[in-house]
Amino acid sequence: MDSLSLIGLSKAYGGVPALRDVTLHLAPGRVHALMGENGAGKSTLIKLIAGVVPADAMVVRRGATAVSLRNAADAAAAGFRFIHQELNIVPQLSVAENILLGHPSPRRFGVLVDWARMHDRARAALAFLGAAHIDVTRQAGDLGTGDRMLMRIASALVVEEGQAAPCLYVLDEPTAALTATESAKLFAVMSRLTAQGAAILYVSHRMEEVMAVCDDVTVLRDGAHAMAAPIAQTTQTAIIQTMTGRQQTAEPPTGPVVRGAVACDAIGVVSGRLRDISFTLQAGEVLGLAGLEEAGQGDLLRLLLGMGRVKSGQLRVLGGPAPTSPVQAWARGVAYVPRERRSEGLMLGMDVRCNTLLPHLGSFGILARKGPETVRTRDLADKVRLRYRAPDQTVRELSGGNQQKVIFARAIAGNPRLLLLEEPTRGVDVGARAEIHALIRGLSAQGCAVILASSDLPELLGLSHRVLIQQDGRQAALIDRAGLTADQLLARVYSPNPA
Amino acid sequence: MLKHLRQSGTLIGLLGIVLFFALQLPDTFLTARNLLNVSQQISMLAVTAFTMTIVMVMGDFDLSVGSTASLAGIVAAVLFAAGWPVWAGVAAALAIGVVGGLLNGALVAYVGILPFIATLGTLTIFSGTAFLVSDGKTIFGRDIPPGFAGFARSGVTLTEGVTVPAMSIAAVLVLLVVYVTLEHTIYGRRLYAIGGNVHAAELAGLNVRRLRLSAFALTGLGAAMAGLMYASRVASANPTQGAGLMLDAIAAVFLGMTMGRQGEPHVMATLVGVLILGILDNGLTQMNVDSYVREILIGGIVVAAVAMSSYGRARG
Ligand SMILES: Nc1ncnc2c1ncn2[C@@H]1O[C@H](COP(=O)(O)OP(=O)(O)OP(=O)(O)O)[C@@H](O)[C@H]1O
Ligand SMILES: [Mg+2]
Repeated sequence: MDSLSLIGLSKAYGGVPALRDVTLHLAPGRVHALMGENGAGKSTLIKLIAGVVPADAMVVRRGATAVSLRNAADAAAAGFRFIHQELNIVPQLSVAENILLGHPSPRRFGVLVDWARMHDRARAALAFLGAAHIDVTRQAGDLGTGDRMLMRIASALVVEEGQAAPCLYVLDEPTAALTATESAKLFAVMSRLTAQGAAILYVSHRMEEVMAVCDDVTVLRDGAHAMAAPIAQTTQTAIIQTMTGRQQTAEPPTGPVVRGAVACDAIGVVSGRLRDISFTLQAGEVLGLAGLEEAGQGDLLRLLLGMGRVKSGQLRVLGGPAPTSPVQAWARGVAYVPRERRSEGLMLGMDVRCNTLLPHLGSFGILARKGPETVRTRDLADKVRLRYRAPDQTVRELSGGNQQKVIFARAIAGNPRLLLLEEPTRGVDVGARAEIHALIRGLSAQGCAVILASSDLPELLGLSHRVLIQQDGRQAALIDRAGLTADQLLARVYSPNPA
Repeated sequence: MLKHLRQSGTLIGLLGIVLFFALQLPDTFLTARNLLNVSQQISMLAVTAFTMTIVMVMGDFDLSVGSTASLAGIVAAVLFAAGWPVWAGVAAALAIGVVGGLLNGALVAYVGILPFIATLGTLTIFSGTAFLVSDGKTIFGRDIPPGFAGFARSGVTLTEGVTVPAMSIAAVLVLLVVYVTLEHTIYGRRLYAIGGNVHAAELAGLNVRRLRLSAFALTGLGAAMAGLMYASRVASANPTQGAGLMLDAIAAVFLGMTMGRQGEPHVMATLVGVLILGILDNGLTQMNVDSYVREILIGGIVVAAVAMSSYGRARG
């Protein structure tokens, strides 16, 4: 196969440049990492070559021939396959229908859908991905986050009969929603695809991952090309330096818990799928929640947010009974970062100011007061290193990682006493991730209790004082972080109580 | 640029309509008398549409506003006939509107029925109640106190022959109240947040149920006001007289939504929608266009405006 050249890509949104004259060469059989801070222009570049956003300037060549990419159909015909950062699934349709969406569905007599064949093809795509456990007849909306991602990846892997194999796969942060095991399966598939001669353009903020699976790297900074090199000839430090313009410093460990009041006390709590939940959380303590995907981490956080009912056992939160609604929880000083930023977190059509201050608007009085709200928003946005134009910019226009930062800013805006976090740094770049970690440590030092569910093990280990491991809703172990390595933690996730 | 054109397209449409009638009806259309007359004609629709905007901001609907209006008129008239003073009858009718709205809100927010279905149900209930209370008859004549009917005929005289009708003033007051509520209070901001993403609003600690309940109550109150204005204007009440309000009010909000940055409703934009519908109706009537043809034309214009706007949005 010929190599692909993306030449002189430029795009401005409303006069503000998001991408400035970027050129990229993709060699067949190689994985090319596209790196850059949140808002650097990675997703924009991808949308241009996918034909979903019109480019201001762009030339794409395969070998010596020009490829025209005016719309999504052009891109598909050129053999490009995409997994976008924020493409939503159709929750009401089955997994099989979602996987074959955008491909002509197999027919019988020309009109009837050939369900059997449809299911076979969807199953084949999932099996190729090592995700045969997903039932293709289930409604997509019932899948967990990781399985949804696998389903979307499978959808990009479907090759129509009689069609040439795709020559380029573009993956925009596919692992942000995957556990370590699921990611490993994806990497295995990627190496099979490159062995078949396809090129892969890969976006991720997880440095270790990029260093391990990619062959080349291009770094964007403020929408412009900043560096391109084979991975073997560069270092993680150099890449981060180019991305951020700063040296990466190691994060300090979380300080010891200053024994104070009890923030949260659970004794043998049973609720929904949750069983045997027993722990005492001190003010200022950070409790990590680990487990396989959907082992009940989300259920536990939502119970504390007042979304569930305690069936038996005792649960006390911030010196009172467990809250019975999120309204009550927030009013008592609980704050929450949900797992899915777009469906559970943001009002995409509303501005940064309103999204950030939403739970705390009441503290400004009855009348909306734009002045003080704007000041407060600016202050919070700086804290989380939000890259945005103005407090009244709509959140839809922010890059994925920056949308995530808005939700985090919202959670810390009211000086919470109990902070519930689900994947707080999903899709956030290295620099801002360290900044958010520092904010969490700062809150903890001031006596805010934190419960953190994260599939990012270094994050979990770096922040927590103790780790609670769940297995299918049950509390399987509660262990001290001290002296625990990531490998040991991973092992405990699979078998919580070693002999 | 294109976006601005799309957003202001509806406003340009309104100006175009005004210009058209001004040219077609040079002697009668752009006169103070006719314009004040239009303002009175549309005042009931205006009040209904302004308060309908409150629930539509949350992405909800209220199909029952027309029958709430009828019921409110009937209740007031029946109480007047029973010898109640004007203020008491009016207060009771407004209270009926609030109660109806609370019922809608409870069904939607607490029972969890889709607004379309819940308010379709209450539409029938309210309208049935109006027939029951009135015995299916129109209440008029001596049963309607002059003090009540006089409201619609009163106004503030500016200069000789130019009187701003009290109904128009009432509509402007409602507009201002709804405007401040939606755009300048925390309450309004929260309603918009619910419209933006209910699930997220709930997780962020908004009291979604109570907010929805109260918003429906306000819409019910507005519908009852409109019903009373109608009864006052025709000095009578019958159980179907508010029926036409619902579709027009929703159409007005939809026309307004074409002007929203993200396609969301705003009450000032609803005003533009109300003016378009009202002026079309007035102008076409003056041009002696058959009333059925008028309906076809107005329906076509609403569909075209909304279609153009969503096409523009899809194209980005
Ligand atoms: N629809 C839009 N309107 C206006 N500005 C936009 C729009 N989409 C993106 N932008 C801006 O373009 C810039 C680049 O965004 P992009 O999504 O490409 O970033 P990214 O590199 O993918 O970041 P992340 O790592 O957070 O996903 C950002 O500043 C963003 O605010
Ligand atoms: Mg992105």
